[in-house]
Amino acid sequence: MVENSLTPLPERAIYGFVLFLSSQFGFRLFLVWAFVPESWLNSLGLTFWPQKYWAVALPVYLLIAVLMGYTTMLKNQEQKNHQEDAIPALRDIPISEVNKMFFLEAKELYTQNCV
Amino acid sequence: MEDERSFLDICGGPLTLRRRYYSSYCREFGLSSARLSLRSVTAVTCTVWLVAYGLFTLFENSMILSSAIFITILGLLGYLHFVKIDQETLLIIDSLGIQMTSSYASGKESTTFIEMDKVKDVIVNEAIYMQKVIYYLCILLKDPVKPHEISQVVPVFQSTKPRLDCLIEVYRSCQEILARQKATSASP
Repeated sequence: MVENSLTPLPERAIYGFVLFLSSQFGFRLFLVWAFVPESWLNSLGLTFWPQKYWAVALPVYLLIAVLMGYTTMLKNQEQKNHQEDAIPALRDIPISEVNKMFFLEAKELYTQNCV
Repeated sequence: MEDERSFLDICGGPLTLRRRYYSSYCREFGLSSARLSLRSVTAVTCTVWLVAYGLFTLFENSMILSSAIFITILGLLGYLHFVKIDQETLLIIDSLGIQMTSSYASGKESTTFIEMDKVKDVIVNEAIYMQKVIYYLCILLKDPVKPHEISQVVPVFQSTKPRLDCLIEVYRSCQEILARQKATSASP
């Protein structure tokens, strides 16, 4: 996104609504898959589902991953504050200065660099 | 003082840059592109009329022929009046502003003027133009209320599209005037 403003645009409303619908659909599908017995789903003809074990395993995996992420990130953050002579962050040179360097001052320098 | 040099545009067509130094703080750059060639006009007219004649032999309706003639005439007039730009001029006056003029082939001229308060800088920028990367000269505008932000970018010489060597000449002259203008405005 170019701007980080909080303006309510119509496109953002559509994005939000699509996200809402898809998240609701995904959640209800997950609930159906987790709770409805295999025999009922098979009788409807839907046979190719993952094992129900994953309905419990995946959330646990995600939670543990988040907790591990928190611990490792916080540990890295502590170490990062101690580096003062590290490489500075990226910055953009203003276009006016780039132009002056290229076209005004050293014309011979420019042609030499090209050759 | 006036001089003329010939350059190329990005497609390889011939251009003429006419520089006029009216005084040390007023300069004008006129870029003229090649005029409409008879070859292209006859080629387009012949194609349109051949297509119309083919449709006429197919449908046996003579309205097709007369409408083809009207379309050709009106299309040529519209092209000359609205599309084909013969010359583009950039007039820069220290402490007053910058004026851009486009003169069309039918004689119409359209002018845009920007006050010097709004001009932040004149730069040569690069752009991706279909499958090429081209250089173009543009004027950076600033809002007088917020002088450190760029509010708008105005490209110049949009139809004639000269190459970098021509743009460097215009850029250097403009920078001389803008440097003088900044010096005089910084020391009241």
